[in-house]
Amino acid sequence: MSNHQQLTDSSKNKSILKILEPIGRNLGLTLFAMFALFPLVWMVICAFKSDAQMYNTVFVFQPTLENFRAVLIGTDYFKAFFQNLVVAGGAVIITVIAGVPCAYALARYNFKKKEDVAFQILSFKFAPEIMVILPIFLIFQKVGLYDTFFGLIWVYQLITMPLLIWVVRGYFEDISVEVEQAAQLDGYTWYEVFFKTLVPLIKPGMVAAALLAFIFAWNSFTFPLILSGFKIQTITITALRYIASDTVHYGQVAVASTIAVLPEVIVALFIQKHLVRGLSFGAVKG
Amino acid sequence: MAQLILKNVFKRYDGQKKKMFQKKKENDFAVKDVSYECKDGEFIGILGPSGCGKSTSLRMMAGLEDITAGEMYIGDVLINDLQPKDRNIGLAFEDYALYPPLTVYENLAFNMRAKKKSEQEIKKAIDYVAPLMKIDDLLNMKPPALSGGQKQRVNIARAIVRRPGLLLLDEPLSHLDGKMRQQLRQEIKRMHHEIKCTTIIVTHDQMEAMSLADRIIIMKDGEIQQIGTPLEVYDDPANEFVAGFIGEPPMNLMSSTIEKQGQKFMFTFEGSLLQVEVPRRYNKIVKDQMKVTLGVRPVDVLIAKEEVSSTPVPVAVYENLGDERRISVRVGEMLLSMTTPDDVYYEAGQKVQLIFHEERTHLFDPETGERIRV
Repeated sequence: MSNHQQLTDSSKNKSILKILEPIGRNLGLTLFAMFALFPLVWMVICAFKSDAQMYNTVFVFQPTLENFRAVLIGTDYFKAFFQNLVVAGGAVIITVIAGVPCAYALARYNFKKKEDVAFQILSFKFAPEIMVILPIFLIFQKVGLYDTFFGLIWVYQLITMPLLIWVVRGYFEDISVEVEQAAQLDGYTWYEVFFKTLVPLIKPGMVAAALLAFIFAWNSFTFPLILSGFKIQTITITALRYIASDTVHYGQVAVASTIAVLPEVIVALFIQKHLVRGLSFGAVKG
Repeated sequence: MAQLILKNVFKRYDGQKKKMFQKKKENDFAVKDVSYECKDGEFIGILGPSGCGKSTSLRMMAGLEDITAGEMYIGDVLINDLQPKDRNIGLAFEDYALYPPLTVYENLAFNMRAKKKSEQEIKKAIDYVAPLMKIDDLLNMKPPALSGGQKQRVNIARAIVRRPGLLLLDEPLSHLDGKMRQQLRQEIKRMHHEIKCTTIIVTHDQMEAMSLADRIIIMKDGEIQQIGTPLEVYDDPANEFVAGFIGEPPMNLMSSTIEKQGQKFMFTFEGSLLQVEVPRRYNKIVKDQMKVTLGVRPVDVLIAKEEVSSTPVPVAVYENLGDERRISVRVGEMLLSMTTPDDVYYEAGQKVQLIFHEERTHLFDPETGERIRV
């Protein structure tokens, strides 16, 4: 083969590659998306099936709203939904109020055992919830926090606080101290310095961490299962109720789960860009 | 507009320190018994190597550090316990410290908005300052889009837009490259000429201090070494440190033993045959076998064109820098360098005879480093 032919051959190969590459990439991504999203799809399908059709795998069936009627009208599902919102939202609000100053202190001040404190906070996330649930349960019963909003919100800090503190701390460390001092010289009081100069700078990280914390809190199962009773029910617990002693109403479980997932999906779609940039920016440098 | 007075100011950092304020750990004084007075409208340069307490002094003036002991006045007001915002100062930070989410205009307006000035007043003030610092084109941009030099212009503009009584510049040029540095240096000078505000610049670059300041304060280890006009500190250094710190290339400082030969006193150097006559004005104070440190600037060392009494020594290094020529001679362990604008050429090894400029040959006490004066 002559050199010339080789050249045209290889350039031909290249142009074919150029076409194949995006196709292959998209195909791979589609396959992965199908694989990853399949449980969600299956859940939605189940929600529209009647109990009788539950155990077959045909995709063509008579959709029914029976399950929705049973869950939304027949039970106090909305109450659980609302209560979950209160608990998860409350937990995140307290986390932001307490965690941002905490992150600031960890980033700016030097005190004894600073790194140990920071690591201790992070370590709350290492321990499985089941490990601490029994003592917490006993304590909650004794002090009257069992089955209260406050009790749940408090214990949710274990889930939400470490994440926010570590992300926001990284953001604070990236801001030069001189920016604060400049604002001080400009005549702003400490809280104005904080809200006018620092908050806008940490906002991406704070929002991303708070929303992620919200999702974690929303999904929490172990804590509300053990630490709440009849008064307060989160939707993760409520879904269990459709497992009766004689039969499991998979359709109703699917409806409860589908609706429970909605806020998370909406939140995640809204903040997708924010989330990736916000978390990676702070975390890598922190 | 105001004068600044420091009276016996001390600064000591505690052993355990907050991270936000500087790095030094030692339980020692960062600033020791510093007193001076800056007149209204004067441009003062605080010069010294890193860690000499110059930035700390500045931060105490700004109110970002406590004053451990002593008194500081701006005008007639004791400012020791005044909040930074009440001191009427402008500080340009080394790292610019602009607010990234705000545009340049908003950055400049930030301070005046805190003081609840009207938008008209703010606009007027910025319209005055922006052309002065040549940032009129940048007003709508945000700091991340600016170059280092532009950021520093904005930073200085922000410090002067509030019309401070005292303007503090903390190493404003240290992060810029050579050409930008020179340009901005001239602009700072011009700016000071225009607004005539008492200005203090902290720098470790002696060129900056020499060219900008009306008076220079040279500090080392928290203590003032000398205060004087640029010419004074150059021509009449108070001690060995100042002599070695000011001037580029630095002053030749060589330890020498004085020997009496007949009626004359001669400088002799260990490990070298070089002997140079001691200037006559020192005759009353020098003794035979006295040890001194001899200081002479490279421009004040001359190569004799005719026969003189000093010993010929071989040239060690010859460098042609275009506008000047540097010639170095080995004297024992040390190199004695000289510069000359004359277009001369010497081979390495060629013998030359040296003459020291009599008036500008300084003696220092080798123990204390203090200047020995006649």
